[in-house]
Amino acid sequence: MYKTVSMASLLAGLFAGPGLAETEVRWLHLEGDGPVVEFMEELEAGFEAKNPGVDVKMQFLGPEAFKARLTTMLQSDDRPHLFYTWAGGVMRAQADAGFLKDITADVEGAWKDSFSPGALSAYEYNGAYYGVPQEINQVGFWYNRRLFDEAGVDPESIKTWDDLLAAVARFKEAGITPIATGGADKWPLHFYWTHLAGRIGGKEAFDAALAGEGDGFAAAPFVAAGERFVELVTLEPFQDGFLAAGHSDAAGVFGDGQAAMQLQGSWNRFSQVSNSANGKGLPEDELAWMPFPMVEGGAGNATDTLGGINGWLVGAGAPQEAVDFLRFITSPENQREAAARGLHVPPMKGMSDVIEDPFSKQFAEKLAASTYHQIFWDQDLGPSVGRVVNDVSTELAAGSTTPEQAAQTIQDAWSFENM
Amino acid sequence: MGIGSGRAHRLYHDLALVAVGIFVATPLLVTFLGGFKDQGELRANPFGLPSTLNLSNFAQILSQPDIWVYVGNSLVVAGMTVALTLIIGAMAAFAFAQIRFFGSRMLLNYVLLGMMFPFATAILPLFVRLRDFGLLNSYAGLVLPQVAFGLGFSILLMRSFFKQLPSELWEAAQIDGCSYAGFFWKVTLPLSTPILATVGVFVLVQSWNNFLLPLVVLNDESLYTWPIGIMQFQGEYNTEWSLILAFVTLTLIPAVIFFAFAQKYIVEGLTGGAVKG
Amino acid sequence: MTMLEASRSGRAPTRRPGLRARLMKSDRFVTAVVFLVPALTLFTLFVMMPIGEAAWYSLFRWNGFGAPTNHVGLKNFQMLMQMDAFHTALKNTGLIIFFSLIVQLPLGLYLALILSQKFRGVVLWRSLFFLPYILAEVATGLIWKFVYDGRHGLAAGITDALGVDPVYVLADQELAVYAVIVVLVWKFFGFHMMLYIAGLQNIPRDVVESAQIDGASWWQIARRIKIPMIAPVIKLSVFFSILGGLQVFDLVWSLTRGGPVNSSHTVVSFLYDFGIMRMRIGFGSAVGVVLFVVCVGFAFSYRRIFMKED
Repeated sequence: MYKTVSMASLLAGLFAGPGLAETEVRWLHLEGDGPVVEFMEELEAGFEAKNPGVDVKMQFLGPEAFKARLTTMLQSDDRPHLFYTWAGGVMRAQADAGFLKDITADVEGAWKDSFSPGALSAYEYNGAYYGVPQEINQVGFWYNRRLFDEAGVDPESIKTWDDLLAAVARFKEAGITPIATGGADKWPLHFYWTHLAGRIGGKEAFDAALAGEGDGFAAAPFVAAGERFVELVTLEPFQDGFLAAGHSDAAGVFGDGQAAMQLQGSWNRFSQVSNSANGKGLPEDELAWMPFPMVEGGAGNATDTLGGINGWLVGAGAPQEAVDFLRFITSPENQREAAARGLHVPPMKGMSDVIEDPFSKQFAEKLAASTYHQIFWDQDLGPSVGRVVNDVSTELAAGSTTPEQAAQTIQDAWSFENM
Repeated sequence: MGIGSGRAHRLYHDLALVAVGIFVATPLLVTFLGGFKDQGELRANPFGLPSTLNLSNFAQILSQPDIWVYVGNSLVVAGMTVALTLIIGAMAAFAFAQIRFFGSRMLLNYVLLGMMFPFATAILPLFVRLRDFGLLNSYAGLVLPQVAFGLGFSILLMRSFFKQLPSELWEAAQIDGCSYAGFFWKVTLPLSTPILATVGVFVLVQSWNNFLLPLVVLNDESLYTWPIGIMQFQGEYNTEWSLILAFVTLTLIPAVIFFAFAQKYIVEGLTGGAVKG
Repeated sequence: MTMLEASRSGRAPTRRPGLRARLMKSDRFVTAVVFLVPALTLFTLFVMMPIGEAAWYSLFRWNGFGAPTNHVGLKNFQMLMQMDAFHTALKNTGLIIFFSLIVQLPLGLYLALILSQKFRGVVLWRSLFFLPYILAEVATGLIWKFVYDGRHGLAAGITDALGVDPVYVLADQELAVYAVIVVLVWKFFGFHMMLYIAGLQNIPRDVVESAQIDGASWWQIARRIKIPMIAPVIKLSVFFSILGGLQVFDLVWSLTRGGPVNSSHTVVSFLYDFGIMRMRIGFGSAVGVVLFVVCVGFAFSYRRIFMKED
């Protein structure tokens, strides 16, 4: 008979899920950079101290694992209560699928008024809010002043794409790797193609493609973006082996002072530290940042920006405590603290006085003056088409496709998803 | 007898063994030694012995609870998979080997179909199904599909073993009025420990190393099995190779120890069941 | 448990042969049902039905949320056939099988011929060569990623020591798949070697001895006697290696993620990248269906042609 018992207990063990505390808040993030994680841990502890009985549980996935697994995680009943987001089409697809919690009633009022309206509107879809932004950031060229001096390149002289190409040629002559990039992750390369497309075609071209007007993403500005990118690629500007390097590898190359530039978002300031060999990254006085150059004759404005309005979404079925915690995270006091530490630029009013960090100041000014802030295309175009943009950008960088094919591939994917 | 040519062969053989031995051992040795080095030494001296016996990488990993959680989960999942596969598989194999009934051959072929295709062909619908059953993020969500996919192979091996048992046993038992189930329980199973051990070892290794299924099924870090855990670790430490190599070494040690003990069953399984299957 | 209770009642002794035969018959039936139901249920639920569903889903454009409604006919298959990345994945899978047949199996066979003899240290050699097989593919992928890493890894150490430019094998679109194949050989030749050793040890000693007395050389004995005698094992190992080759995933995923630029995808890693990661259940299922047809088609024709005896 004991066999029967053991069998029963085996089956019981088999079907027993993990026990969950009633007021657990599962908080899924992808931050690997020391100072940011530290701040998040302080937020967690601060909230728990004020709200006994609530257990905030931080869950971490590296950025690549996060993107790969979030869609399957959301399908489970144990989905995270709060999770990182870049908003855009990926968020809209999640909302359509019913994986997000409508928190409009909570957001209305003082919470809503604390945000810059433009940033918050990225979290609105079909008249409802599913989360709130926490930072606004911008992509541009991080550069190494010492290497610029060595090669005799004046960063101020890089105003246009042609200037950049000339600078790259100078670095090549000087035997310095011009640019570090993480081709294996693909998204670092899509910044080139999409930023060029924005500079060449402006907001109008993007809106027209989304609306399916003309040739869509196969239209002239997008082909031209590929052509200009190929001009750079033919100079072989990237570090050896860049196609097998992830973003962290690339940030390590830049942080070790082995490449002059890296096209990345604001966060790279910390990535280049945490991935450097000595754990310190470039000295503050060697590190600098400049916006993406203009393209001669392009329709885009110098004040157009590409970047993220990153924040947190609330998963369907999340307890009210998760919303309360989100309110706590994005409270003006806590965001002022983040801004004061130079961790990011909060998309909120009245922060300029606390931002002392020169980099944050630079980003805050640029973003405040932005005439058109385009969210990362790989997020904005939705989970499926966005990946195609990353794919073709990488293929362009590897020289295995043509600008026409690249644009057409994106258009094909777009029309298949939206037919 | 060509003694001379025999010696020449001996030389070639020794050379071949040494060459392949170097090919096989180098990555393993470099991994093992790398865990004791720091980043700089790893680059400057990848092959050599570490200059100092630096245990800090190992200490750092072992002091985190994560690795213990991962290994514990893997043990539970593998243990349940082995137990269920053995029970369910042996019962089915017995029915196929010992009981004559209409459609037996057809049903056997149906189950053996399962050996022919990989997890991956069905991973998406499997995911949808596990989701609909509410089995995502649970041990059962790993165990049941693993058992199901392992059944074909297990039944094949066990059935051919059961068939080789002397038929006089069953005739004698019948005269004693023994039922099929009684015979299975009292005679077949006790005589079949070698094949049960072999199947158990193979199922254990499969489950222990499974990557794709837990990748899709598990969300909660407290349920991660170690292959998922190791990828998570790598995502966190990226290019800190000395730390990653130390982690890999730690996860390899149980496999190597286990192999030393289970080698007999692996070899027996290959000699006995599989080859005659 | 029902099966035990059934067995006890079925054992009730009786002297009436007719009844007894009837009881035996019903016992046979009940036992067959009770013993088979768990296996068949699990197998049907988690293996056969998902595969059937894959065929159904492959006709839809579906992200897995809700029920599939957007019927697109064979469009997923059409797109699949037009994708360069899929052609590459097919080609790579073919390459993997090709090299496993012409490198991995002969290497395993040669070593098995040596190591099926008895000499000092033979067990040690066998264990060493078999060891990679039991390592998880994820761990294997990480180990070799380090070996190939041109900036921090073993490759970097070697190029440094030689004073030449660093080499990035995994960043090379031409070489990456061969780098994967090297690792596959490293990992799996030992498994086939063990199969062969097992077969070789079943060869009666006197057959080999009499050939030796006739003056046959080592190579002649291997080629004329040993290899033909383990032909069934070789057929089986070819079968395993082709089927295994069709299913390669973990190793590719942890080594290259199918890159650079999709140049090292296998069919399964392609399925994962383009189906699961992008949550295109319909499209991914189409890949699964193609793989399924290839696997089953191969398995049946192989069994029919080469393994008739069974």
